[in-house]
Amino acid sequence: MKVRVKNCLIWLSIWVFSSAAMAEPFVQGGAIGSQTEDGFNALGPVVEQPIEFPHNTHAGQMGINCMYCHTYARRSGVSGIPRLDKCMGCHNLIESVKDRPRIKKLFEYWEKKEPIPWKKVHDLPDFVRFNHERHIQRFYFKEDRPVREVCGYCHGDIASMTTARRVKALSMGWCVSCHQKEHLESAGTTKTSNGPNDCWQCHK
Amino acid sequence: MSNSNIDRRDFLRVLGISGAAATLAGCGNTSIESGAELVESYVQPEDFVVPGVGVFYASTCTQCGSGCGIMGRVREGRLLKLEGNPKSGISGGKICGLGQAGVQVHYNPDRLTTPMMREGETLKPVSWDKAMAVLTARLGSSSALSGDQIAVLTGEISGHQKVLLGLLLESFNSTNHVVYDALSPTIGRAACKAVLGVEQPVLQIDKARLILSFGNDFLGAGPSPVHMAAQYARFRKAPRGTLIQIEPRMTLTGANADRWYAIIPGTEGVFALGLAHSLLQHQEYAHAVSADIAEALKQYDKDTVSEITGVHADALSHIAGMLWERSPNLVLSGPAAEGHAHGFDNAAAILLLNLILDNRGKTLQGQASHPFPQLTPITGSTGALTRLNQAVTAGKCQALVVIGSNPVFTAPTFVPFANNLSKVPFKVAFVTQLDETARQCDLVLPLLSPMEDFGTHVAGYQPAGVDLMIQQPLMERLYPETRGLGDILLDLLKQRKPDAYKAFPDYYAYIKTAVTKAKPVFRTTSSDDNFWEDALRNGVLHLDGPPAALETHAAAVKVDKPRSVVTDVHYPFYFVPSVKADLRDGRHANLPWLQESPDPLTTIVWDSWVEIHPTTAAEMQIREGDILEVQSATGSVMAKAYLFPGIQPDTVSMPLGQGHTAYGRYADGMGVNTFKIFDPVFDEHTGELALYATRVIIKKTGEHANVVKDEGPTALQQGRKLVVTMAADQAQLAKEISRVTQ
Repeated sequence: MKVRVKNCLIWLSIWVFSSAAMAEPFVQGGAIGSQTEDGFNALGPVVEQPIEFPHNTHAGQMGINCMYCHTYARRSGVSGIPRLDKCMGCHNLIESVKDRPRIKKLFEYWEKKEPIPWKKVHDLPDFVRFNHERHIQRFYFKEDRPVREVCGYCHGDIASMTTARRVKALSMGWCVSCHQKEHLESAGTTKTSNGPNDCWQCHK
Repeated sequence: MSNSNIDRRDFLRVLGISGAAATLAGCGNTSIESGAELVESYVQPEDFVVPGVGVFYASTCTQCGSGCGIMGRVREGRLLKLEGNPKSGISGGKICGLGQAGVQVHYNPDRLTTPMMREGETLKPVSWDKAMAVLTARLGSSSALSGDQIAVLTGEISGHQKVLLGLLLESFNSTNHVVYDALSPTIGRAACKAVLGVEQPVLQIDKARLILSFGNDFLGAGPSPVHMAAQYARFRKAPRGTLIQIEPRMTLTGANADRWYAIIPGTEGVFALGLAHSLLQHQEYAHAVSADIAEALKQYDKDTVSEITGVHADALSHIAGMLWERSPNLVLSGPAAEGHAHGFDNAAAILLLNLILDNRGKTLQGQASHPFPQLTPITGSTGALTRLNQAVTAGKCQALVVIGSNPVFTAPTFVPFANNLSKVPFKVAFVTQLDETARQCDLVLPLLSPMEDFGTHVAGYQPAGVDLMIQQPLMERLYPETRGLGDILLDLLKQRKPDAYKAFPDYYAYIKTAVTKAKPVFRTTSSDDNFWEDALRNGVLHLDGPPAALETHAAAVKVDKPRSVVTDVHYPFYFVPSVKADLRDGRHANLPWLQESPDPLTTIVWDSWVEIHPTTAAEMQIREGDILEVQSATGSVMAKAYLFPGIQPDTVSMPLGQGHTAYGRYADGMGVNTFKIFDPVFDEHTGELALYATRVIIKKTGEHANVVKDEGPTALQQGRKLVVTMAADQAQLAKEISRVTQ
């Protein structure tokens, strides 16, 4: 009897633990997609947005630099979402597309002075602090690499999508795999270094 | 557990596993999610707004009356943290724990978010329209109240809020602004005024080579502790100044002292006069006072003084010797010396030492004269509340406006203000959170938090020149149903005198106009708008000014025959309340950071306790945690015993500020209210309540509970002797000075 009570309690705890903690991180965000070349579950679910924003038109066909709209990415830890008046700055002047349904929706939000309720696609757990500014400054400004490539390390080739979809794992092993690689310190040098390996760099 | 089938190891294993699961489940988002959350974006933000990057706005801390400049870090429209404002001459870019906790006033879950009106026994939420209708019916244009029929009760208040209150009262032909401060410095100020000619001299702590403090807790709960701490840091730099503290119960300042002496409460004046007598033996001081005083001081020989004060006679000689050698020095009087029936005399005797030692103009100066006297704060007193209570009892008061004051909690039992409140037909309170007094009012209006409102402040203690401090909102209001005090007052004034105030659509317009009108005083050539924007950006308008000269009135010091303190066989213990630097008179007990901060001397949290000397405790067979009843002639409270070596053996001490019954989830039921056991003893000169003159008896209840504290099981630095201390009597004081006075 004594042993049975003890075993029951231990198994109950293990069940609670595994259902609450273990299942969660691996199932969501991993089950839908196939594996990437480097072996990580990658493809996230399709996220329906209030406006089906065509990244392929803006960044693809027109070749607009990602940071023209995502202006906070090089200045802050978080990239944020472009401000609404940024959209309006151009679209107020582009008469040819004003009657399209998506642009009409944009104008509706602007007239109501309401932010567009975009859904977050690239989300990390609350205990992870990713810093956009450091990555952009290093790879785009110091190494002078193309912006589509730099943003694409984590976000994939957004310029070929309409609304964004996660195509990279964003898991710790995936982050570390890149941090372990040797990266040029700046353009025009052969000196390399890799990303930080300390826990506290991301888990503060 | 003894009959359980689970042994300790199994129990811990189970606890560990389920604990880990609970922790992970409670962590918020622990996985990579897509499409689960909205991501907030801006429509048309200011250019400097970058998500994830904080912006600092200058404002003024209102947690105490020091008027420190602060900077609020704001990110994505939310106030995150407060820092000191480097442009503030008072705070010098620093901030104290009490100031840091200001964000918890703002984000407190117990904030009042809607007006409340009395219906029978309870307060019920009402709309602003209804609340303002009731307010204006009583205090608006049709009000027939006049003179003393209306009273405004506030805590210490300055700036344009004070001006508007004065104008409102003026519209009723009244000057009945009652300023109540439960921990009033009235007695000490009166003594300063009598001896030095100013109520609040500026202390040049950094210029002193030695500080002798009689119960002045300038590093803790004194005026402007942030400024004092910065000065103290300079005082301690080479050549290191010496601090001697004499008090019945060790304060935070006492804990920092090089020499700490326990003295029988109320005998500080006798010790000071003993020192004066000792100093006059030196040739250079012989003519510092008149022959009459010098003659009278002869009664204060060191043996008599030692017998009365309980301080060793040699200590007196050594302190006198150190004062003589280390000039300039500074002698301070504090609340523990002033809160007695002869508190004024004690303070005057202590200040006399500064005159003898010629510290005037060296370590003691007058404050610069203020160009806007209408903005300077009114110092509160308990006497003011007593007078209001008399008016209320006599039925003279028809309407009472309460702002930033909680007399139902802090008034002693012999001022039955709480019971008398029902005699006032209309009572309105303006609060950010309901407290004991607001709950007895007929109408309660929810104010904006200090982080959401405009204001101007002038500190009572101006260390250099004059600062006009600007308070501005650090973020948008959290609750739409809250309003600023200035806006409500302005609305009432518009009712009373429409023509005079129609030019001001709101308090912002009023305060902007008022501040820009002061521009000529600051001798600037900038436009009004630029002047105002600079004021907001800097958070402070500073004006240099020469310090006022101090006067010398040694004759104000009474040198009678040395008097012993009369003992009371029924109440054998002296009761010394301790004022905590954070909770103060209890107004901050609703802030959990402060409740959680360990008391610096005992490390106890979230509670009240009784400090008792270990020797006395041993005699009475009291252990730490024994529940004691502390009974005075007016009431009794119960709390756990804490054995504390930093206290005079015939004295017990309890902290003030706890024991709330209706002040939100963090304050209610924590500890006991020690204001309710004060004896009705008043200073003979000023008539002010003597806070340190209560006598008590200690009774053991036979119950015991653990004292919740950070300190480990072994007191005294965990047994490691990190800082070596010894009894002051055993120190070889003679080595510290070359010449010992006799």
